[in-house]
Amino acid sequence: MSAQATTAAKPEPAAPMLIVGHWPHLRGKDSTARIMWSVVACLVPVVLASGWFFGIRAYLHVGLAVSTAVLVEALIQRLRKVPVTAADGSAVVTGILVAFCLPAQAGWYVPMVASFIAIAIAKQCFGGLGCNIWNPALIGRAFVQVAYPTDLNPSSYPVLTGGHVTANVGTVGNALPAGVQAVTSASPLAQMKAAAQAAQAAGADAQAAIAQAIQNAQDQIHANLTGGLPNLGDMLLGSRGGNIGETCALLLILGAVYLIARGWVRWQIPVAYLGTFIIGVLALPIHIVAEATQGTTLTASQDQYLWVASWAPDLAWKYVAYHLLSGGLILGSLYMATDMVTSPLTNRGMLIFGAGCGVLTILIRLYGGYPEAVCYSILLMNTTVALIDRYTQPRIFGHQK
Amino acid sequence: MRKATFPGGVHPPADKWTADAAIETPPLPPRLVVPMAQNLGAPSKPIVAKGDKVKRGQTIGKPDGFVSAYLHAPTSGTVAGIEKVVDAATGRQADAVAIEADSEDAWADGTNQPRDWRALKPDEIRQAVAEAGIVGMGGATFPTHVKLTPPPGKTIDTLIINGAECEPYLTCDYRLMLERPADIVAGLAICLAATGAKRGLVAIEDNKPEAVRTLQEALRGADGAAVQVLETKYPQGAEKQLILACLGREVPSGGLPSDVGVIVQNVGTAAAIAEALAQRRPMTERILTVSGDAAARPGNFCCRIGTPIQALFEKAGVAADFEELIFGGPMMGKDQFTADLYVKKGTSGILVFRRAAAYDNGPCIRCGACVRHCPSYLNPSRLSILGESFLDGNLAAVDDAMNIGLMDCILCGTCAYVCPARRRMVHLIEMLRGERRKALERKREKQREQQAHLKREVEKVKP
Repeated sequence: MSAQATTAAKPEPAAPMLIVGHWPHLRGKDSTARIMWSVVACLVPVVLASGWFFGIRAYLHVGLAVSTAVLVEALIQRLRKVPVTAADGSAVVTGILVAFCLPAQAGWYVPMVASFIAIAIAKQCFGGLGCNIWNPALIGRAFVQVAYPTDLNPSSYPVLTGGHVTANVGTVGNALPAGVQAVTSASPLAQMKAAAQAAQAAGADAQAAIAQAIQNAQDQIHANLTGGLPNLGDMLLGSRGGNIGETCALLLILGAVYLIARGWVRWQIPVAYLGTFIIGVLALPIHIVAEATQGTTLTASQDQYLWVASWAPDLAWKYVAYHLLSGGLILGSLYMATDMVTSPLTNRGMLIFGAGCGVLTILIRLYGGYPEAVCYSILLMNTTVALIDRYTQPRIFGHQK
Repeated sequence: MRKATFPGGVHPPADKWTADAAIETPPLPPRLVVPMAQNLGAPSKPIVAKGDKVKRGQTIGKPDGFVSAYLHAPTSGTVAGIEKVVDAATGRQADAVAIEADSEDAWADGTNQPRDWRALKPDEIRQAVAEAGIVGMGGATFPTHVKLTPPPGKTIDTLIINGAECEPYLTCDYRLMLERPADIVAGLAICLAATGAKRGLVAIEDNKPEAVRTLQEALRGADGAAVQVLETKYPQGAEKQLILACLGREVPSGGLPSDVGVIVQNVGTAAAIAEALAQRRPMTERILTVSGDAAARPGNFCCRIGTPIQALFEKAGVAADFEELIFGGPMMGKDQFTADLYVKKGTSGILVFRRAAAYDNGPCIRCGACVRHCPSYLNPSRLSILGESFLDGNLAAVDDAMNIGLMDCILCGTCAYVCPARRRMVHLIEMLRGERRKALERKREKQREQQAHLKREVEKVKP
């Protein structure tokens, strides 16, 4: 072999084997895997915090969701006979986000089912990375929301009782006798909603009872805002009821700030999302329905609209802060609405998309039948992305507008 | 001073390793091979045959049509024949005149003499430029006399001499600006005289402060001429982006710079014009950069057109173990599959790399980076997806791409540079354009057939 090599090299140096590719021959440093693993790195502190707040079950959920996501991705890619790219980090991101929107006490099968739906149905069925219309993690969550309602019922969320011990402190006022106020003690989001809706009164004087009920509801909202809810510091740090990955707002924000600085998360979406949401919170009233009942018969009812900003101006900022920090809004607006694949391409499109998410979220939260609105708002806006892209294309160079 | 720039673009690492390497003249090779296709448009037609004696600057090729160019012998010697060699621009076999050098390197009669170009009328200047075989030396190789002939009804008010050199690695324009500023200034003056423009700008990126100073010095006292400092950004030197940066004028889609009263010439072209007009020296040589990590002694070389690149490799210490060979810069240069190539008028650089770049193509993750950086404000993501769709059999993808500006792409590669999925954007876009051309040709062919058929039918019924 060495003899061959020397004879081949001597008379005519072998022509170099040249590799030909289309220009540009220089590429930037960013890669899909680099972006995805950076998102994972930004979520790891949140994972660690979730274990601190919700116990070992949080790690179990994350572990099951991530491993299911990666395995399902690899398996389906093998079946589809396409390159297996499960190591590019995108399935890991999906797995973590799936786990993040589940409560700690959900069954062990819930993260696995949610991850399977996310990867198999929402991602690979559409053609894999880059082809899906809806955010896979949110589709997974929306599926288990209907498939396992008791596992995900927000009214049975654990709330923090000292240290990081979790306990169920849920009471729901559906079956309570007339004349008793029913207030849920669930996640702050459910609390506020419950306060607005559950005031009931009974008695001979229906009008007086209704007035009393409205007063009770207003008192309850006031009480919630002035001390009935976990304090805002706990809300920011994560010591509150909720899904495992959405409570620690501080770490979520820090990670997102890094991703925004690197340009991998575009500020347009969260700014438009949260901005519109705040405007909505201040501009739209809480809807209080007071009902007077005689036995099981409805005798009178009255709708009352309460603008918190004018009703209790000193509490308005707290009201806004609780809205921002409760539920999955921070997680959703920073990590789910900003998913590159399912959000618009243009800056203008991102602003429209974010604003749409904000409007839907506040409308569902204040007037919908279900307190957690972020998931469905983002999924609905995902549907409009192709349309937004089409109408927000910039003017091409050299063309008239 | 205001730093002019355009929206979009990228900042690739400059890697201008040869910025301080003075222009060297390698020894004259014993044999030169001059490809006939030196310019954009029709290749020149050879007018010499095997055995002819030629001298440097003697015409060996005549233009074949208006958008074509004269071609001259790069040295004196004997024509060894018309050969087929690989054309670095297309990768196809093309005609080339091979010349055995006689080492005298004698100029042809009537060349290499001083001439007072100020006495010439614009038409005579254009004629002299055409006869000197000058083409755009930035790499596009558009025949310069055509550029200096604005369409009737168009007034040119500004001339921009392009010294941006925004491609990484390349430094030939930079060295030219440092070493021969007088030629550039003279070239600018000649172009102003030929076009009647009142204002001349020499546009230079701000990463070349020495060149800015040198040209400012050289332009001192020149009427209506100044240096325009540009932000260092790719593709600052692209014609339309340069005009927008310098003057805030946008060349309309499908239009020419003359539509907004501008002509752009590369600094190398300006210097070549000065040599041709003032010295009667046709274009027989050019400056180019040889660089890349496989070159032990990268440098800037002034070499004759037709120099085999092996001769330059010896000079630059290029080892044989390179994997990628690029003619031009790394952003828009063309990869070559063979090293059996010869220097052409448009060869601004020869880059050799030990390891080839990775040319993978991942799925678009819709990050939008290409949309944000595209200097033509296009949606490259969509265009590339349409390209893939076409390859999957969706023939309508070409029309869809036309509707979103397929022809407005300048193929600068900014989108592919920023793409985290490493998509082959430009490749797909160029492929779609090729398909568009083919479709147009098919349409024309069909029309011709119909007309011929109609004519035959008419002939039949004629009494």
